Amino acid sequence: MGKLILVVEDQEDNRIILRDLLTNSGFEVAEAVNGIDGVRMAEELLPDLILMDIQLPGIDGYEATRQIKANAILSSIPIIVVTSYALSGDDKKAYNAGCDDYVAKPFSPRKLLEKVRNFLN
Amino acid sequence: MYKPLNMIDAVKQLLKPQSVSGRFSYAFIGVVTLILFIYAGTEIFIDNSKINKNLEQKIMRALQLSKISLPTPLWNLDNHIVDDFIEALFLDESMVFAEVIWGDQVISKRVREDYTHVEFSSLRESSLFISMFSDILYEGNKVGTVRLVMSREMVKKELINTILQTVCLMVLIIIAVTITSLIITKKYITSPLLKLKESSSLIAKGNLDTFIDKSGNDEIGVLAQQFDKMRESVKSLFLEVSEKKLEIEKYSRTLEQKVDQRTRELAQSVEELQALGEVSRVVSSTLDLNMVLTNIIHHAVQLSDTKGGIIFEFEESEQVFVPKINYGLSDTITKKIKRSILRLGDKTAIGQAGQLKVPVQISDLADELEHPLPYIREDGFSALLAVPLMRQDRLIGGLVVMRKYVGNFSDRTVDLLQTFAAQSALAIYNAQLFKQIEEKSSQLELADKHKSEFLANMSHELRTPLNAILGYTELIIDKIYGDVPEKIEKTLVRLEKNGRHLLNLINDVLDISKIEAGRLTLSLDDYSLGELVSTVLVSVEGLAAEKGLKLSAIVDKDLPIGRADQQRIAQILVNLLGNAIKFTDEGEVVVEVGTRNGFFLISILDTGLGLSVEDKQIIFKEFCQVDGSSTRERGGTGLGLSIAKKIVEMHGGSIWVESRPEGGAIFSFSIPIRVDHQVES
Repeated sequence: MGKLILVVEDQEDNRIILRDLLTNSGFEVAEAVNGIDGVRMAEELLPDLILMDIQLPGIDGYEATRQIKANAILSSIPIIVVTSYALSGDDKKAYNAGCDDYVAKPFSPRKLLEKVRNFLN
Repeated sequence: MYKPLNMIDAVKQLLKPQSVSGRFSYAFIGVVTLILFIYAGTEIFIDNSKINKNLEQKIMRALQLSKISLPTPLWNLDNHIVDDFIEALFLDESMVFAEVIWGDQVISKRVREDYTHVEFSSLRESSLFISMFSDILYEGNKVGTVRLVMSREMVKKELINTILQTVCLMVLIIIAVTITSLIITKKYITSPLLKLKESSSLIAKGNLDTFIDKSGNDEIGVLAQQFDKMRESVKSLFLEVSEKKLEIEKYSRTLEQKVDQRTRELAQSVEELQALGEVSRVVSSTLDLNMVLTNIIHHAVQLSDTKGGIIFEFEESEQVFVPKINYGLSDTITKKIKRSILRLGDKTAIGQAGQLKVPVQISDLADELEHPLPYIREDGFSALLAVPLMRQDRLIGGLVVMRKYVGNFSDRTVDLLQTFAAQSALAIYNAQLFKQIEEKSSQLELADKHKSEFLANMSHELRTPLNAILGYTELIIDKIYGDVPEKIEKTLVRLEKNGRHLLNLINDVLDISKIEAGRLTLSLDDYSLGELVSTVLVSVEGLAAEKGLKLSAIVDKDLPIGRADQQRIAQILVNLLGNAIKFTDEGEVVVEVGTRNGFFLISILDTGLGLSVEDKQIIFKEFCQVDGSSTRERGGTGLGLSIAKKIVEMHGGSIWVESRPEGGAIFSFSIPIRVDHQVES
């Protein structure tokens, strides 16, 4: 069984790209389309890594990250925040929320894959 | 003043050796006295000898008479007759001794009583007497001797009398002469001279109409006439001079008055000019309408010598005057005026002034019983002047000044008020204009912000599908979806490259839009510039290597820890280095980093195409590259430098470009080592 990666992303195209990229590389992918689902699924599935979008309906990626990191069981799960082209200070906000890494869109799938592998090996 | 001369004065006058009449009188009297003395002396001498001779004759005659009369009685011895004869001889008063002797016998003898003791012999010897004797002969026979003595005393007495008479006469004559001379001198010399003197001193005192007695035909008269002529000519000259003097005085008085008046006018003008200057200064220095109008009404009231004033703004839509500012009015009146509706064309001065577009005054409010604002008189105002505020034939408002006494306002005041009105009109007009401009500009600002917001949002929305396109492309190229024919792969690589270019464009537009929309905030944090430069160099060294360029950095040791938005600084560095590499085909690109005066100074030197003077001026403007063709050839949005400039400025720094003499360019920027707050553009 490959490692489970939870992708929290409202954008279908992005979900497809990440899914295709990660499954092709041997990872299992679970998907959530909003922040609330993302937190719930993290609790339920206990993924090995979470890719978190920031602009999400309901609660945003920062809040979702905070909630997951606030949960003692989940706090060790690495979260890579994927944001749209950064407004200045977004990275800081993301780190403040407790994320482990930060990737700005447009991300290069190759480079993202590299980061994911670094966290999981 | 003329004093009548009395004798004492005349004598006094005479005793004064200085006086002409005195000298004259002295001389005259002296001469007369001398003549009199000579005459008297001569007279006395002649008299004396005459009397002596007379005495001698008398004694001779008495002797002769004796010789004739006495012989017979003596002969006859008739002594009585002899005695009678002797007695008769004594009828002559001079006879003092007479005797007839015969031998030793005295026949008759008589001696005047006073001389009884005197002997004939002694008498004979005295010079006081004259004596004679003679023998008396009768027919040749001596019958006796007669001896006679006559006293000279009588003669002397007579002489003394004569002398006394002469002296008396002389004294009388001298007195007469003196008086005469005095009178004459007084009448003909002293008096006319004194009169002349009196006149001349009066003339000297300025009384040129003094009467000069020129009746005499003598020299003094002539002198007086000449003097009078002189007086006349002096008088006419004096009159002429007086007239001239009067003219000059009048002229100088007029001149003085004119100067006074002019000075007053000038002072007033200066005051007015100062006031107007201040008003103009206030009008042009501030757009605070209330402040300007307060200043204007204050000066207008002061300079027009009034006690209160109001400036109205004309509300065009309602056709009413709205009081904007007032001065010197009680609160009650102010409130009442604010409540009143002053329409254009109504019976108020301002209503009329606005309608007719000329100044309108009410010289006595008591006459205007139907004045629509009767309460103005409650503050004691009696007269008012209203001037319309016009701006290019457009009624803007009105200026009213009020006075507490009745009467017309002078033309000058009206003129002055019109000047103030013009300033007020200008101020109100400016304020209205400014308000419009302000409204417009805030609308524009809002529109601009909306535009920037739109662009920012739009760019973001554009990027989402583009990200997907690029993502899918990369996945296909990476053969995630299976093998790709070589031809398609090449096309996909070009597709990706163009996609990335489009993405960069969109990102730059987004940056600029965010900066202009004010949505870009710097994230200030401590950083190491040295490390930042190294990181950036690593990210671009691939590009340099591709073109075979040497890429190096000269970084000062011991650079202090800075504070800035390091991501943005990195963005600038990437941009500048990217440009340098892009526009350099061979040679090197060098980064120099140091500090200067509290600033970091970062320079990027290349050996590329360099820049013309014109290029340097426009290169930091948006959407601008050296020329369109190179943009297309070498890629880039033309926004990078513009964004870099804005970011540097937000840090409080500056960016510039220089040409290198050996070719190539140096792009430099400086930012404060420690940026504590963002500088708003």
